[in-house]
Amino acid sequence: MRIELLYYPECPSHERALELIHEALAQEGVSAEVAVVRIDTQTQAEQHRFIGSPTIRIDGRELQPQPHLPYRLTCRTFQLEDGRLAPLPSLSMLREAIRHSEGG
Amino acid sequence: MEIGQSAYDFELPGVDGKTYSLKDFADKPVLVLFFWCNHCPYVKAYEERVLRLAKEFGDRVAFVAINSNDPTQYPEDSFENMQKVAQEKGYPFPYLFDATQAVAHAYKASRTPEFFVFDEERDLKYHGRLDDNWEHPNQVRHEYVRDAIMSLLQNDIPHVSHVPPIGCTIKWKH
Repeated sequence: MRIELLYYPECPSHERALELIHEALAQEGVSAEVAVVRIDTQTQAEQHRFIGSPTIRIDGRELQPQPHLPYRLTCRTFQLEDGRLAPLPSLSMLREAIRHSEGG
Repeated sequence: MEIGQSAYDFELPGVDGKTYSLKDFADKPVLVLFFWCNHCPYVKAYEERVLRLAKEFGDRVAFVAINSNDPTQYPEDSFENMQKVAQEKGYPFPYLFDATQAVAHAYKASRTPEFFVFDEERDLKYHGRLDDNWEHPNQVRHEYVRDAIMSLLQNDIPHVSHVPPIGCTIKWKH
């Protein structure tokens, strides 16, 4: 499995995002290559189809894709299971996505 | 902006069609001025908490939200979208648009959300984040803005005067 974490350094959520990814992998008992990609410019945001930080892709599949949003340098919003909007996905959302990807 | 400094005056349009300056809040012994916007997930994470606080203290404390983001880069933060959000969410406080970003510069604000709490003389007594846990509202241990409000309402000095704000950067014009 390959997980990409794309982040914009001015958004403070990426360190916690990386922790959550490792926690989710550990809890699922899955090993994965985790690639961390820093996005600093609008050009990079467009090249990487980056709508905000953190963007997490598991085997190329984006966690909670939002195709209506433009590529840009900002924090992104995730909708949690209880409907709340947050700057990070929940641990259970990440675990579910990893399980789903593992299951093929 | 340093603790102890006086609030800068401004003249900004609100989503209700009125224009606001500091004198409009002079009847309240405490002023909570906060930089805010529509698109930032940290603002969204804190929105319910800020609404609760504003409703709880609204009779004694003036709450004022200011959006300084550049709407050409972030259309969700346009004045029209501010009006929509304020109406949908029932904001009980003025939501002002700082189109020139002069107010954000004057206050040396850098993030959304970012809170400035002023006493009756409008001297800054607290600056920073709302509380110590944006992620889990039920695990908050320190409510910095609430504590500052409570202290000031009791003519006391807040125990904590500064905690770095956490959130999105203000989107400056290029």
